[in-house]
Amino acid sequence: MIAVKNLTFSYENGRQALHGLDFMVEDGEVFGFLGPNGSGKSTTQKILTGILTGYGGSVSLFERDFTTIQRQAFFQKIGVLFEFPYLYTNLSAVDNLKYFSSFYPREQLRDIDELIDLLEIKRDFVKKPVSSYSKGMRQRTSMARALLNNPKLLFLDEPTSGLDPTGAVLFRRIIEQESSKGTTIFLTTHNMLDADLLCDRVAFLTDGRIAALDTPKNLKEKNSSRNILVEYLHQGQRKNQILKPDEVGKAFSFLYDEILQVHSQEPTLEDIFLQYTGRGLQ
Amino acid sequence: MGRGFGALLRKDFKLMLSGKFFLLAAGSLLVYSFYINMVYVRLNQEIYPVIVYDPLELQSKGQQPPAIMVESQEELQAKCADAYAVGIDLSAGMTVKDAKIYMVSSGIEQLDALCSAYAQLYYQQNIFQTDTGTVSYDSTNIVGDFTKEAKNRREITCEVLFFELTAVGFLGLAAVLFREKQMGVLRVHGIVPVSCAAFLFSKLLLFFISDLLFAVVLTMVNIGVIEGMIVLPTVLLQAGLLSLIMALLGFLLAVCLPNFRQFSLLYLVLAVFITTPVFLVGQTGISWGWIIYHPMYQLFITMKKAYFGERGAGLGYYCVCVAVIAGLFLLGIWALRREVAKSGGTNNS
Repeated sequence: MIAVKNLTFSYENGRQALHGLDFMVEDGEVFGFLGPNGSGKSTTQKILTGILTGYGGSVSLFERDFTTIQRQAFFQKIGVLFEFPYLYTNLSAVDNLKYFSSFYPREQLRDIDELIDLLEIKRDFVKKPVSSYSKGMRQRTSMARALLNNPKLLFLDEPTSGLDPTGAVLFRRIIEQESSKGTTIFLTTHNMLDADLLCDRVAFLTDGRIAALDTPKNLKEKNSSRNILVEYLHQGQRKNQILKPDEVGKAFSFLYDEILQVHSQEPTLEDIFLQYTGRGLQ
Repeated sequence: MGRGFGALLRKDFKLMLSGKFFLLAAGSLLVYSFYINMVYVRLNQEIYPVIVYDPLELQSKGQQPPAIMVESQEELQAKCADAYAVGIDLSAGMTVKDAKIYMVSSGIEQLDALCSAYAQLYYQQNIFQTDTGTVSYDSTNIVGDFTKEAKNRREITCEVLFFELTAVGFLGLAAVLFREKQMGVLRVHGIVPVSCAAFLFSKLLLFFISDLLFAVVLTMVNIGVIEGMIVLPTVLLQAGLLSLIMALLGFLLAVCLPNFRQFSLLYLVLAVFITTPVFLVGQTGISWGWIIYHPMYQLFITMKKAYFGERGAGLGYYCVCVAVIAGLFLLGIWALRREVAKSGGTNNS
């Protein structure tokens, strides 16, 4: 679906944002693009969505070189959710969705009522101006806008940002549904939980370079110490013990009254990110 | 494409509605028309009060010239002390050579020369020619083919329309675009299948129609339906050109400037340094040779000529206007694409 080779980009002020990125995203894959602010995530996404031109290297989308793609036809096939919910605040959710749907062929469109139900947008609000919505409601409306045209390729930038836990769970479920339909998803995020739960593969980006690219599982396995942390109570005192892999067989040889928790000490994606890049994500 | 453009038009119309643009235009129309009909045409439009000291009673008996008569030279001097009134001292005799003009300098040489010329014309018409019976006092109120009131109506209507198009037309489209920038929706238009040209054209079309409607109503109400119908084709042509130029200029600046405060500052500069000289030269005795190279002056004078039923501009003028409109349109699209590629709005409040 997406093939990027030696992608470079410099802004007008001379700052080089991307230093030769190479990656591929398969059809139907959920691809996570992770990196701290200023790492080049947004620049990459803008290039892939056709907003930024003047890049170096080659970009292919839908098996065609991006420079030869007919833009209007390309835009009909993609959906983009921005980090901020960009909507006409003087219009209602329904009017926003109707407005943006008018740019796509009718036969391609999803039913607006169905989308409103899917995103669980409150019925009391759908005909009120967006200016009266909470950030979460706006983000849900924006997600509905991104899904309006049944996109084959969906770009999601921090999809769960600003959502309450219920909203975040809903968004993850929708992303999984889209993925199961065969939609390719390019997910840009800071949120390691989202990346871990949703992505088939993730790329860690730092200073315009890809530091690591693999499945979350492989990344964790490759970088795990395989230690086990055991927290326990002994004579009324809370204690813990780290067991190395070779010690696991002799586990629980210590005195205890009750086993409270066993932690695998498996690194989180954020730990691995720090290990690769030396930087935090925020 | 048609469905998409229709949606753009509806969306822009709703933005104009919610931004109270039509309310503002209707309010302006009411206020301007009220001022023109209830105040302006009722004012005594004498440019400079003429004070006459005529101890020899050289004027024809039974005729009351539109001048203020005084009894002494001291009174003449006192009434002219405001540096605005022009005095005529006829105490020395009745020939042109003998009449003396008394005035306090305004400090502007050209304005003093204009006052002096006005006074000379005044006493030539009102005293010497009247004595021959060839010119009546009322004839000074005939300006070309128009009565004084008709001339005044046309002049003030032209000024109001010019002001409305340069100021409100310029601000109107810019205000709509700033709202969209603030909402961040420009960025969304970068990833939906709609062209920047259509995005700009829909706004331009609505403001163009709105400005033309404003011009029609303003002209009909203030110079009369029949007279208005006669001048409307040329007036609408000028209004259309000015509307497109100002709206595109407003759009371009609104795209390039980061916020409305900076835009307002630039608008102030535009009003003070670009439009004011045009009004000063067009409506007062001030004369600057360089003003003919001022593009706004050319637009103003051509619109003024249109209100007086004259064509007033050659093919070159229209070619330049069309080229400017086309250039601004292309620049607008280029600037919009650049803006879309930027990071977009930071909030959605």
